Amino acid sequence: MSIIRSKSIHFLITFLLLGLFIMPTTKAAEGVILFSPYTDISVTPGESIHYSIDVINNSGSVQDLELAVEGLSNQWKHELTAGGWKIQRIAVKPDDSQTVSLDVDVPLEVEKGTYNFHLIAPGKTSLPFTVHITEEGTFKTEFTSEQPNMEGPSTGAFNFETTLRNRTVENQLYSLTADAPKGWDIQFKVDSKRVTSVNVEANSTKDVDVEIVPPENVKAGSYKIPLKAATNSTSAQTELEVVITGTYDLKLSTPSGLLSTDVTAGDERKLQVEVTNTGSANLRDIELKSEAPVNWEVTFEPKKIDAIEAGKSAEVTATIKADQKAIAGDYVVNMTAETAEASSDAGFRVAVKTSLLWGWVGILIILGVIGGMYYLFKKYGRR
Amino acid sequence: MKAKLISPFWVMVRKEMADHMRSWRYNLMLLLIGLTCLGSLYTAMMSIREAVPKDQTLNAFLFLKLFTVSDGTLPPFITFIGFLGPLLGISLGFDAVNSERNKGTLSRVMAQPIHRDFLIGAKFVGALILISMMFLSLGFLVMGLGLLAIGIPPSAEEFLRMLLFLLLSIIYVGFWLSLAILFSIKFRQSATSALSSLSIWLFFSVFFTMLIQLIANATAPVNATNPNDILQHQQFIQVIMSLSPSQLFSEATTTLLTPTVRSLGPLTLEQVYGAIPSPLPLGQSMLLIWPQVTGMIAATLVCFGISYAYFMRQEIRSR
Repeated sequence: MSIIRSKSIHFLITFLLLGLFIMPTTKAAEGVILFSPYTDISVTPGESIHYSIDVINNSGSVQDLELAVEGLSNQWKHELTAGGWKIQRIAVKPDDSQTVSLDVDVPLEVEKGTYNFHLIAPGKTSLPFTVHITEEGTFKTEFTSEQPNMEGPSTGAFNFETTLRNRTVENQLYSLTADAPKGWDIQFKVDSKRVTSVNVEANSTKDVDVEIVPPENVKAGSYKIPLKAATNSTSAQTELEVVITGTYDLKLSTPSGLLSTDVTAGDERKLQVEVTNTGSANLRDIELKSEAPVNWEVTFEPKKIDAIEAGKSAEVTATIKADQKAIAGDYVVNMTAETAEASSDAGFRVAVKTSLLWGWVGILIILGVIGGMYYLFKKYGRR
Repeated sequence: MKAKLISPFWVMVRKEMADHMRSWRYNLMLLLIGLTCLGSLYTAMMSIREAVPKDQTLNAFLFLKLFTVSDGTLPPFITFIGFLGPLLGISLGFDAVNSERNKGTLSRVMAQPIHRDFLIGAKFVGALILISMMFLSLGFLVMGLGLLAIGIPPSAEEFLRMLLFLLLSIIYVGFWLSLAILFSIKFRQSATSALSSLSIWLFFSVFFTMLIQLIANATAPVNATNPNDILQHQQFIQVIMSLSPSQLFSEATTTLLTPTVRSLGPLTLEQVYGAIPSPLPLGQSMLLIWPQVTGMIAATLVCFGISYAYFMRQEIRSR
């Protein structure tokens, strides 16, 4: 019972001592205590941790201690220093304390998690440390984009924001390349300057803007643009996706481009008209309409084109029938090709010619008069 | 006969021309028309700068404006030709036959071994050749001076239009010439024939338009609501108007020298809708005025035909 009691008293004292020093200390053995206020910390990979450790001698004699770190893998570099020297041992006078510094470099390539190690004075005491690695550390480059997908028409430029993160311990000069399809224009910009390479300091990031200009006649669809940032030792890739929405555009003209013709009043003239799909999406149900002077008739054959593929064209025969009473000279006939999405019109200059009929009538009248005179000459002449 | 170098007809034509050339009448007319032509050319050059259209894309036909533009002080060239041309024709033809008859030279000429129709033919052809010479030289004078003054050469179409204008003027004057010759055969007194020709000329150039106005007012549709009625009335007026040779001439020459004229009759809104103000090609202008040209040529030939028939049937007595 008494043993138990004495043990309980001993524990009580220990707890009291613990309470006195607030933070956990070494097991009080041989009267030497290792004390550090921050024994459980969270750091990111690549950081250096500086511990300040007090070595307290409670005994009545000088304590000569050997100090060592235990439980740290080789990647974790550590160093014990005191008074400006790297130390392996330390001696502490009775009822006195010494301060020792422990520097621990957290490696860059380290897994997320909790790491424990001890500072030990073999045979005497030890002090546990806990380090939480808050994120995954890698010895590599990261090339990321928060929004790697954009949609738009082929006429515009696509501006992506990417981030290049150098997770190595050295400064890196990355060359930036894009493996874009033919005709695509890719430009990298850093601080709104156009660049082909970018310098990123160790363990830091740089924002790289990527401007992508699709070719003018690109067809609708989604396009993947692989980007690469590379040095001789490390490289990273990312992929941007551009979704081209189709543009709808068409053009109405003639195969020769000539927008003028002539027609005799009251007569008709056939005209080849060409409808070209100048957009990047297919067009369907193209209707042809016309706006002509009064009493003129414009008919199309065919009246409706079912579909024209992007970049292709279709020919239509337009028949312009002029009014019988149209006066000589130029008239405007507007033709329109339209779909639900786009339309195009062309103004044709139609020169109206008057019928030669009355000209011949006039000539006949004159011939009749001349004939009459000839009769007169015959009858009365040469008397 | 075939060895003859000049046929008697052309001998008579030459004689006629020589007679006219030496006459006071012809030289006075030449002076009058020459002066007015220079005067109108001067005013045209003064005001041609304003006549240049603002829209440079339109074919300006600037050279033709020499004949049609005026600042208001003097009428343009075409108006002068339309007004003085008949006077020239009348002055060359009004005493063609009756003066010869009165002087007794007609029977003497007829005593020569020539055909009788040579005389009437030579009278007409000789005067017409003189008129042609005069108009062509005046026309080329205007062209030459205009070229000097404005420095822009006429295009081929402008040149053709000017030539056709001169040709039309000759035909027009030829009509009045043949009319005057007709009167000179009809009336024994040259004063009577001159006065009759002049009265017809005055009637058509002054009173005819007034008369038309009167008829137009009298026959105008009472309630002008139906556009068809108005149109028909307009066309009716136009038909009467075209009875006047001076009207035919002015319509024809205006269309020739102003290529932007596209129609001479009344236009409905339907015809105008969609039309672009643009000059007509020469062929279309000619087609437009073809009725006028036909009428003028036919009237000239008919007048000559009548005088020919009349002359051939007349007996020629020596005094």
